[in-house]
Amino acid sequence: MSRRNVLVRGFALGVVFALVLAACGGSDDESSTSPTNPASGSGAPDAGTLVLAAEQEPDCADWIASCAGLAWGAWIMQYQTMPLAFNIVKSGANWTYAPSNLLAEPPTLTPGPPQVVTYKINPAAVWSDGTPITSTDFKYTWDQIANSEDVYSKTGYENIASVDDTDPATAVVTFKPDQSYGPWRALFGTDYGVWPSHILEGKNRDKATKDGYKWSGGPWKIESWNRGVDVTLIPNDAYWGEKPKISKVIFKFIPDTTAQFKAFQTGEVLGIYPQPQLDAVDAIKEGLPNAKTVYTADTGSIEALWMNNAKAPLNSVAVRQAIAYAIDRDAIVARLFGDLGVDKASQSLNPPITSEFGDQQAWAGYTLDLQKVDQLLTGEGWAKGSDGIYAKNGKKLSLTITTTADNQRRELTEQILQEQLKAAGIDLKIKNQSADQLFGVTLVEGNYQMALYAQVSTNLDPGLCVIMCSSNVPSKANDNSGQNYTRTEIPALDPLLTAVDRSSDDALRDQSQAQADQLMAENQVSLPLDPLPNIAIWSDKISGDLSDNPIMAMFWNMNTWQLQG
Amino acid sequence: MLNFLGRRILYTIPVVLIASFLLFVFVRATFDPTAKLRSGRADSAAVAREQERLGLDKPVVVQYTNWLGDFVRGDWGQSERTREDVFDMIRRSLWYTVQLIFWGILLSATIAIAVGVYSAVKQYSPLDYTFTGMSFVGLALPPFWFGLIAIELLAVQPVKWFDLQQPIFSFVGLHSGDSTGFNLDYLRHLALPVLTLTVQIIAGWSRFQRASMLDVLQSDYIRTARAKGVPRRQVIVKHGLRNALIPLVTVMALDIGVLFGGVIITETIFSIPGMGRLFYDSLLAGDATVLVAWTVVTAVFIVTFNLLADVLYGVLDPRVRLS
Repeated sequence: MSRRNVLVRGFALGVVFALVLAACGGSDDESSTSPTNPASGSGAPDAGTLVLAAEQEPDCADWIASCAGLAWGAWIMQYQTMPLAFNIVKSGANWTYAPSNLLAEPPTLTPGPPQVVTYKINPAAVWSDGTPITSTDFKYTWDQIANSEDVYSKTGYENIASVDDTDPATAVVTFKPDQSYGPWRALFGTDYGVWPSHILEGKNRDKATKDGYKWSGGPWKIESWNRGVDVTLIPNDAYWGEKPKISKVIFKFIPDTTAQFKAFQTGEVLGIYPQPQLDAVDAIKEGLPNAKTVYTADTGSIEALWMNNAKAPLNSVAVRQAIAYAIDRDAIVARLFGDLGVDKASQSLNPPITSEFGDQQAWAGYTLDLQKVDQLLTGEGWAKGSDGIYAKNGKKLSLTITTTADNQRRELTEQILQEQLKAAGIDLKIKNQSADQLFGVTLVEGNYQMALYAQVSTNLDPGLCVIMCSSNVPSKANDNSGQNYTRTEIPALDPLLTAVDRSSDDALRDQSQAQADQLMAENQVSLPLDPLPNIAIWSDKISGDLSDNPIMAMFWNMNTWQLQG
Repeated sequence: MLNFLGRRILYTIPVVLIASFLLFVFVRATFDPTAKLRSGRADSAAVAREQERLGLDKPVVVQYTNWLGDFVRGDWGQSERTREDVFDMIRRSLWYTVQLIFWGILLSATIAIAVGVYSAVKQYSPLDYTFTGMSFVGLALPPFWFGLIAIELLAVQPVKWFDLQQPIFSFVGLHSGDSTGFNLDYLRHLALPVLTLTVQIIAGWSRFQRASMLDVLQSDYIRTARAKGVPRRQVIVKHGLRNALIPLVTVMALDIGVLFGGVIITETIFSIPGMGRLFYDSLLAGDATVLVAWTVVTAVFIVTFNLLADVLYGVLDPRVRLS
């Protein structure tokens, strides 16, 4: 065969390939669940398609399994399709639980022991196939979470002894006699919702749901999930509450924050919910025409300077307190989020949304006071050297801080801390690492002095025992799975935090949490820094009650939105 | 030729095995798939449950051997992160990357060859200097920066300048809304990522083509053809370009093979779920099952295109014999 023939045939092959490639463009959605009929509410006029940006794609849609920890999955899919026993609503200055329309009336609580919670189910509540939502669905949900192997967290559900579904309209949840559960309102709610037993009983739940599901007990249904590209929601015709006014919502996965803002500016997406990173704040500063924006520090996230209480010199309360007095926390918050109107530091290790409980101002006394720094350190035998840094027994007061690498906001925070501490006579070195290394190895093994990261709460109840009770210090006893990375071991603290988790008496929980907050602040176990604000941005083409929800995000009432024009 | 091909394929197998083993060990040693459970609201026993589910309590060699045994039987396993079939994940991601590569290579090759030929034929002309300068700029430009600039200048600003209802070029994924298939919407989405991808490729290939063409144009047979009165166009295209393309084609084959590993930066900026993003997301999650399969697939492409380069060289240049 001559070279010319080879070249000609090669070219022809290339042309054929190009044509095949062109014709096969439909494979973009080959991984999606098969589309249902377009628009539910067949016969209803098309009320438009809304395209929004989602910064992260959920790993799976089995909300019970360990693969479902990402908040975005809950915000854009779980909360839109799963019935929840309680909603999160604003009541005065505080966020609170309110029984949802899944229930006919507020649940009744019998403190016991044993603690019993009785749910009366709304007779109008049905799944998307018309099957009523019953107490058997509550029972199935509990059973799956308490007894399955692959579960993200069994907290609360493993405290339950039984769920009585004798009456389909009434679910009676009885807790174990010695395991009352304070945050009971979070159960069957924003953690996992209620699952359809009639569809999933006897099946492999994970296999049936991980790639999405067609059923729904919420205002929306999942029409399709194109992995890596988008997820599309359509109205659930059978929803008994306020039905959506938009025909279709498409969440496009846009991982890059800058690209999100640009997509919003060009109208490719009409809403974004970016993380409170520096580039997001900068983009907002540049201006966003035709947009409604909401910034709020009333969130479930709090960033703190976590201190290893077991590692010298931080094993000294005086040193920890000195560090707290050496830092101007308001200045840090103002530098990070001042452009969003957030400029006050957090004064509690509990996030702002748990404000119904505890002492939210427990750390308020720790303001910049270099005299107190000197007083505390010299009292411990430290003395300032010629370089301005305190030293003791020939050893400088030099600390190391670590956080997740390549997080601009946290890196800036570290730099500010470094400057402030240096001015106070404390040397700070920065040694960042990957999130995997930090959370998987460093914190577990305790090979750190100070770490900067956020705690995120997904319900309105404080839950500091998991990170502050002495039994949760990583050790052989708990297979190193404890999350008390600060190694806080204050004997008087454990019973207080346990009471917050175990008691169903909200007044007692509030009191216990307040005492715990004051005890932790006195011992300066760690230092709360900034409340991570939520940033919600909508195009003015969307009308309705546009507001943020600290647990359910800006999409919490998407069924009430309308598209203009 | 067949002997040559067979030997090359045989040599590839141990290379792929060693690479996949090393990657598996590295990922297990460096990334913890259970880390997300430690930083979230999971209960204290969640980590132990997950470790058992993923078999992390077994020695690394045993874990790798189990994976390899399944892999050679055609079971690529499930992603530790998403529970999807790894085969489906890679197939889907590869399809996105193939689209980017195909259009990128088509555009890059066309422009690079044209620029290289012109620059060689009109050496030291003003346009040659211009192309040279642009090549150096293209080589120096970070793709991330160029991509964002392209979005700003070609998508965002025109909307403001001309008060448009929608951008001329889109930059989120490869389709809008419900759109699928090869249509104007697809081309509008493809333009900017392909442009970002091709800038550096064109810069490199055009320089290579220019040098190769210059070398060929100095040859005796070209001088002979001119002396014999062969038309200039025929001298350049039939005699010059055909020979100058030989080394470029082999370079292209090698570069294309590497591109199948994905172009992470372009894919991230333009929200395209290709091989690069799959690798990055899986690496951060410590998803060893996906990563080793990704390595095998990418290695196969690299080896295949290396082989193709060698074969093409032998086909295009009859003086070369493969043995």
